[in-house]
Amino acid sequence: MAKHGGWAGKVLRVDLSTGKISTEDTLEKYRDYLGGTGIGYKVIWDEVQAGVKSFDPANKIVYGVGPLAGTGAPCNGRTAITTLWPTCWPKALVASGHMGGQFAAELKYAGYDAIIIEGRADRPVWLSVWDEKVEIKDARQLWGQGIRRTTIEINQQMGPEASVAAIGQAGENLAPMSVVMNSYSHSAGGVGGVMGSKNLKAIGVRGTGSVRIAGNKEEWEKLIKLHLSLLGANNQHVVPSNPQPWAEHYNAGSRWMASAGRRWGAANPSIDTGACEPHNLNRIAYRTNNAAYFLGDKAWQHTVRGNGCTACPIRCHTMLKVPAVSAKYGIPELGQNTCVGLLFGRAFFKSFPDGPKGQTAIEACMVGMYLADDLGVWDNYGQLQRDFQALYYNGIFKRKVAEKEFNSYSWNKYEQGDPTFLFELLPRIANKEGELATALGLGTGHLLERWGIPEQEWLENHDLLYWKLGHPKHHSNEDAGQCGVIINTQYNRDAQCHSHSNFTRNGLPIEVQKRLAAELWGSPDAVDAVAAFTPMNAHKAKMAKWSLLRKELHDCLSLCNWMGPWVASPLKEREYRGDDSIESLLYSLATGDKKSRQELDTIAERIFLLHRALTIRDMGAKDMRTKHDTIPDWVFTDPKDKAAFSKGTIRMDKEDIKLAMDMFYEEMAWDKETGSPTKATYRRLGLGTVADELAKRGLLP
Amino acid sequence: MTGGLIIAFSASGAKAAKEGPVIIMDQAEGLVIADPTKCVGCRRCELACTEFNDGKASPTIARIKISRNLNFGVNGIPTGQRGGGAWGNGLVIQDICNQCPHPVPCANACPNDAIVVRPPTNARVVDSKRCSGCKMCRRACPWEMMSFDSGTNKATKCFLCDGSPKCVEACPSGALTYAAWRDLTGKIPPRVAPTAIVAPEKAQTCNECHKK
Repeated sequence: MAKHGGWAGKVLRVDLSTGKISTEDTLEKYRDYLGGTGIGYKVIWDEVQAGVKSFDPANKIVYGVGPLAGTGAPCNGRTAITTLWPTCWPKALVASGHMGGQFAAELKYAGYDAIIIEGRADRPVWLSVWDEKVEIKDARQLWGQGIRRTTIEINQQMGPEASVAAIGQAGENLAPMSVVMNSYSHSAGGVGGVMGSKNLKAIGVRGTGSVRIAGNKEEWEKLIKLHLSLLGANNQHVVPSNPQPWAEHYNAGSRWMASAGRRWGAANPSIDTGACEPHNLNRIAYRTNNAAYFLGDKAWQHTVRGNGCTACPIRCHTMLKVPAVSAKYGIPELGQNTCVGLLFGRAFFKSFPDGPKGQTAIEACMVGMYLADDLGVWDNYGQLQRDFQALYYNGIFKRKVAEKEFNSYSWNKYEQGDPTFLFELLPRIANKEGELATALGLGTGHLLERWGIPEQEWLENHDLLYWKLGHPKHHSNEDAGQCGVIINTQYNRDAQCHSHSNFTRNGLPIEVQKRLAAELWGSPDAVDAVAAFTPMNAHKAKMAKWSLLRKELHDCLSLCNWMGPWVASPLKEREYRGDDSIESLLYSLATGDKKSRQELDTIAERIFLLHRALTIRDMGAKDMRTKHDTIPDWVFTDPKDKAAFSKGTIRMDKEDIKLAMDMFYEEMAWDKETGSPTKATYRRLGLGTVADELAKRGLLP
Repeated sequence: MTGGLIIAFSASGAKAAKEGPVIIMDQAEGLVIADPTKCVGCRRCELACTEFNDGKASPTIARIKISRNLNFGVNGIPTGQRGGGAWGNGLVIQDICNQCPHPVPCANACPNDAIVVRPPTNARVVDSKRCSGCKMCRRACPWEMMSFDSGTNKATKCFLCDGSPKCVEACPSGALTYAAWRDLTGKIPPRVAPTAIVAPEKAQTCNECHKK
């Protein structure tokens, strides 16, 4: 049993070049960085030199979880995987991918807070982590197999409870657009090729130990129940999507889909999701049905049940049963995923014969999940499919690809919305067959460069939602105005931050949101109604900072930022307040290391700052403001040319966004001119040696 | 029943001579009933069981067992995508303790008579003071519902949380119900063939009671 609560206490280090396996004391070495991405950034800063490329043996992969992973804290199922990001263009920079599933918990039960993978094996291997017994195993038999075959064969060796994170053919073939996947449908994008470059096919984990709760168990039970009572549906949407007998408010955009008459139609017998009154904690799992949210009412009849991560009552993955696909496409009738993973196949097509929410669209989803989640192809938050449509319909494929190859695709099927087209396309991306598929597998930035297309065209295109560095926007101005824009400037891939959008899209009326915002960020003006944006103010910058720090905190503690923070709730008697301290309450009781909300936010700020320092070091530039924190031109346009701040547009104003960045840098105590953190800021957050290192390189403002 | 030979640790607390073997005869009052069509595989029941009772998250010692059926169902990996669990038909079978009627296999197999009846539910529970950690009980349960806590070196099993099971309270999909006891031992297929043997003195007790 670990000395401390929460943490397992050990970090596992595996050098694939030498075969050396060792462990480190988590708290001795990484206490100031909590876990997850914190350990990831620390390892990359200390051990990976600037200039290393993603697929170099000198790059490292850090599978990190935090003190809450494996506990009963709701929404703790996520593993953060930090490495130099292969789709980050023009140069690999640090970033992290995040997968749910059972892997995080199993790693803790095995006794580890993180696994650091370094070097490169001389032949295909997989890593077996079975409590304290860790072995590098021959994977030559598995090489060339899909994720599902690989997982089953490893489960045969390690037992059915083992969690297996595996790559498919896409990762083996070093396609940057590739994932690592565990628990059937839980993937982390971008990491597959880095695993492949190390000849590492999979990591199988089996843990029979436990995670100790340091605090009093009755207090822990009370806290868990408090947290559960504050949960909404997926993305912390706290009102239902249609009127309910118990609900004061409803919002059609909510992911709280449950309602009398809406049934898990493919359960046997079918199950009515019903009213889901928020105080009834035994019905939380029925609230969310992301298949129905994204695919429409037809999805209900195909719903077997919700699925998801360890300890999460919000089942954001939906298990679908579509018997027709078995005969039509020769694939299993069951499939499951969420959000862009669910929509993977559908999103390639512009239209379907029976409309965007018809049966064919659902079948395209089934085919897409079947293929992509076995081959291990990543879609870069939907950018792959948006690029594909643009490249085809603008005639770029035809121009860039040899005629014979171009004609080898059944474009008539594609245009007709025939899902069988995916059988032609996705295996070729994974296997890098031909120019078209190989280019798509590179990711947007490298594809554009390869084909001599100026990035500017993408930056200006309102439909492509491309942001920068080869990656798209992720909850930007369309969800939170300037706050969303600021957040989308900060990372080296899509921002993956939901702290802000989980608030602005929670479904509560704007008056209620403003009341809560005043308590959280000092003024009701911190938030606007979506598409009724007002000019920048300092409170929006506060909210942006809070959003980023909480995202980073969640990625270190192993809480899900797709669900948290929990500052609004479905509870009328709380006037829809959540609890801004839930993270620190959970952390303190689980670990026994008592920290206030502010203290924990300060640690999160240190970790976020280290990410910033790494970005600066590896770019070799201190002028972040103009070189890194860039904003695509489409943000400042409107398809109907509506003026910024007018009702119905998400268009931002250039001068106002300049002010927004000024205010954000100020809030962070960074240098306004360069957007680089100052020496004093590094020192204040305990990163003095980082500042010294940057000073040596002339990278302090 | 012939007096003296049998010690029944019953709800009424009746007990006789110290040296005789424990043979449980009283029926349990309650039972956790599980509906696999509603299980969403979140394992909150396993975590509530061990965190709220033992102060640690530990599916291995959970007295309701989900993890082992979660991926591939009760028939395991060979069924691949044709079996149960998330990889198969989606059904997650929740393994629960039947609170067996007499003769109680785990109790009879215990060389220390450490599995006893405890009021108010009459659940069959491990008396950890008596448990020596020999794991014979694990070999006796056809449903593999005995757990072993390597932290305490003791066996553990479902004790119905004295009448308000934490797992039932924790289930976010209402798949678990605490109900009046009924005999499920003939209804739920065993997972393994038990290999424990009943000690000769207990076997003798059986013969004493069940005289021809």
